[in-house]
Formats: sequence, C-alpha cells, structure tokens
Amino acid sequence: MTSFDKVSITRREAVKTGLAAAAGSWGFFGATRFALAEDTLAEIKKRGELVAATEMQFPPFDISDNGVYKGVDRDLIDAVAKQMGVKVSYIDLPWTSVLPGLDAKKFDLCIAPVTITKERMKRYAFTVPIADATAALMKRADDKSIMKPEDIAGKTVGGQKGTSQVEQLKTFAAKLPKPVEVKEYVDNNQSYADLAAGRIDASVNSLPNLAYAASQRSDTFAMVLPPFGQPTYFSWVARLDDKSLVDAVNAAILKVEADGTMATIQKQWFGQTMDLPKTVPEPTI
Amino acid sequence: MKPEVILRSFGHLTQAAGVTISVSFAGIAIGFAIGALVCVAGLSRRAWLARFGAAYVSVFRGVPLLVQLLFMYYFLAEFGLDVPALAAAVGGLALSSAAYQAEILRGAFNALPRGQAEAAVALGYADSEIWRRILLPQALRISIPPLINEFILLLKASSLVSVVGIAELTRVSMNIASMTYRPLEAYVGGGLFYLAINLTLAGFGALAERRLAAGQPR
Repeated sequence: MTSFDKVSITRREAVKTGLAAAAGSWGFFGATRFALAEDTLAEIKKRGELVAATEMQFPPFDISDNGVYKGVDRDLIDAVAKQMGVKVSYIDLPWTSVLPGLDAKKFDLCIAPVTITKERMKRYAFTVPIADATAALMKRADDKSIMKPEDIAGKTVGGQKGTSQVEQLKTFAAKLPKPVEVKEYVDNNQSYADLAAGRIDASVNSLPNLAYAASQRSDTFAMVLPPFGQPTYFSWVARLDDKSLVDAVNAAILKVEADGTMATIQKQWFGQTMDLPKTVPEPTI
Repeated sequence: MKPEVILRSFGHLTQAAGVTISVSFAGIAIGFAIGALVCVAGLSRRAWLARFGAAYVSVFRGVPLLVQLLFMYYFLAEFGLDVPALAAAVGGLALSSAAYQAEILRGAFNALPRGQAEAAVALGYADSEIWRRILLPQALRISIPPLINEFILLLKASSLVSVVGIAELTRVSMNIASMTYRPLEAYVGGGLFYLAINLTLAGFGALAERRLAAGQPR
C-alpha cells in the first residue's frame, strides 16, 4: 500500500496545477469586474452607451427577427438614445430575469413595456408612458359565442403569469354571473398556442399586443372589443434611485413625441396613433 | 404545420446551435478538468481532501442548475462581483457537470480490482507507470458510456443558460415562436438541431469505445 501514499503526492501536485488552471480559465472568461457605485446617468454618458434589456418575445414591442432586434421599444429607445447622445446595446432576457437583472445592475434600463401599478411603483422608477396597456381579450376567429368581454362568463381564459393583465382579468371575472377559469402560463405565446389549439376560449393581454397578434394570424385569432380593463399604460423602468436617468429618458421621450417620431413608430407597429400622458399617471390598479 | 417557418429561420437556428455547442463543450471540458480533481480528492486517503470531494459533489449535484446559474449571475452581483453572462453560463455548466463527471470517474476507478495495482507493485512497476499504463486506460474505458451520457444531458441542460441572457437554441426557438405565432414549427426546428448534435456526440462516443476496446480480452 505504500505505492498509494506516493501516488497521493502526485495527486497533491495535480490539485495545485488544476486549481491554477481553473483560476486561469476563470480569468479568461472573467473580465470579472467590480460594479462601481456611481450615478448611472453619468456612467452611461462616460461610456457613451446605454445598456438596455427586455424580453424579445413580446410582439409588436420586442421581436427577435432572425436575431435582429425589432419592434416599438427598439425604434423608441434608438430615438431616445439619439436625443441623449449615446449609443444603445440590447440584452434579451426571459421576463422573469429582467427585473432581478435590473436590481443586480446588469444593465441600466428595462425597456420591456411594464404596466404601471401601485405595487411596482414602490420598487421601481417609471418613465412617462410609452404605450397603452389596457387589458383586452382575444378569441378564436370562428368562435361566435364570445362577442363582448362579458361573454367569457363560464369559460376558460389564459394569460401570462405575473402580469397586471391577468390580475385585471381576475377582478373583472369576479363580477361576472358565472365563474371564469383562469389559466396562467409562463408566457403569452403559450396562451396563444392553447387558444389556437382550443384548450382555452380566450387570451388576456394588453390591447396593442393582442391587436398585433390578431392581425398577424387573422385566420386564427380575432379581438373581443372593447377592452375590458381600466385604462393603464406601459412604461420603461429604472432602479428606484436612478432619478437622474429617468429624468433624462423622460425629457427625451417627450421630445420624440413632440417631433412626430412617436406617431411614426405607432403608425408602423399599431396601424394607428394614440395619445399618451405627458407625465407618469397615478396607477389605477 | 408550415415547414417554411423552419426554413426561413434556418440561419438563425444554426447560429444558435453554434452557441449551444460552444457553451456546452466549454462546460464539458472545464467540467471534466474540475471533475477529475474532485474525483482524485474524493479517492484520497487524506480525510480532509476526501471530505472536500464529497461536499463538492453534494452541493453541485444537489442544487438545480437553474438556481446555480441565477446565483452566479444575480446573487454575486449583490456583493459587487459582476460575473459576465458568458462566464456565468459556462461556469455554471462546468461546476455542475464536474460533480457528475467526478462521480463517473470515481466509480470507474473503484471498479478496477485492487489486486492489479498490488500485483504491479510486486512486479516492480513505478507508481507513475501503474497510473499511466494500468489504471487510467481501464478507468477511461469504463467511464466512456456514462460520460457520453452526461455530455448529452449537459448539452440539453444548456437550454437553461438563457436565464442569464445567452441566446442558445431553445431561447431562439422561443423567439421564433413568438415572432411568427407558430410555436409548433419553431420547436420542431429547434428539436431537430438538438437531435442532430446529440446523434453526432453519440457517434463519437461509439467510436471512442471501439478505439479503446482494442486489445481488450473478450
């Protein structure tokens, strides 16, 4: 058994070499830097680049078209960054990672459309609205049993878990004569897929999202109008203490609205223009 | 079913498959290096080393990969340690896979009859030769099938790295599904790419097994 003892010396060498190699490979992938506690706006100006994140699975706001980022948010943040005199880089994260990533300072601004709610205003700083977020319903094009929002009584409706639209649906459904079964999905696309497959009778989401989906697959989907929800709006969000960044972004959004760029973007993606509040509205939900 | 959805996204899926392959292989390779060390530690007669090996395996095999990735990317940032997305992805895959690979290797070494090393000592072989010519080749041969198994599992588990913002195959399939409103086509496309990659991997495994089987008594 002496041989095994000697072998274990070589093992110790191996451990040392291995640890060095592991440390080396870490450095290679690393560029591991320590985040500096500095004013985010000043930091953006200094590096000449605003780092924005969203989930690129939210048409027509965020689309990844063969790897190219497109949509309302893309056009708008480009125009806003131009006003601020900086470039933009975009990160695609699953929605569940977007707000944690903002907290962890992985990027500067969340350009996913976030519905303004009372709860969220306590945790995040909202910009002025970038689009209408009023909750609405979509059904199968051939379904004659749902003609107005109230017709969902006794039926099954799907939506994305954790969204304010699903919360609004529950409030709305509670007032209907028959209970509504609400199915919650990881993302809206699964809810649309189940709607097309006939597993649910309607999908809930914001009006612009559904209108776009219905226009892209008009053979399968149709809108249930009018929208049932309270008037709500989408904004972008920053960390609560980044007041200077939010002020700068707000000023840029208002300029983009004043010079007609916003209307051009809305025409392109929604097929119509809509007026938005010039300040962050008091949340109704 | 509209196959043209897959065809139109073919370039994008290919690119994403490249990301999946590179992230997974980096994870497998670094994981093998760490796993070999953890295995050696686990086999050590020094109690503290053996305990370290066992503890490593318990932690990294016991915590879901998704949680490990989120921890590295978001939680470490709370302490001012900003791990880049790619490092978190590869590091997460490597650290987790190392635990499994260490156990595969440990099992292979334990499967070798103890008498072989003792006989080699009696015959006057040097320690390095015992390792290089007797123990290692046999252990490697035994561990090939479970290692290939682990590589394929890791390649599929790499779909989880999208939580740190890496656009790999599953993530891109989801992007395509959301853009086209055609989930079935998008996921069939992504699935075919996974199948192609894993069949290739399994093919290499079979090849390696045949090569290493040369000279083995039947």
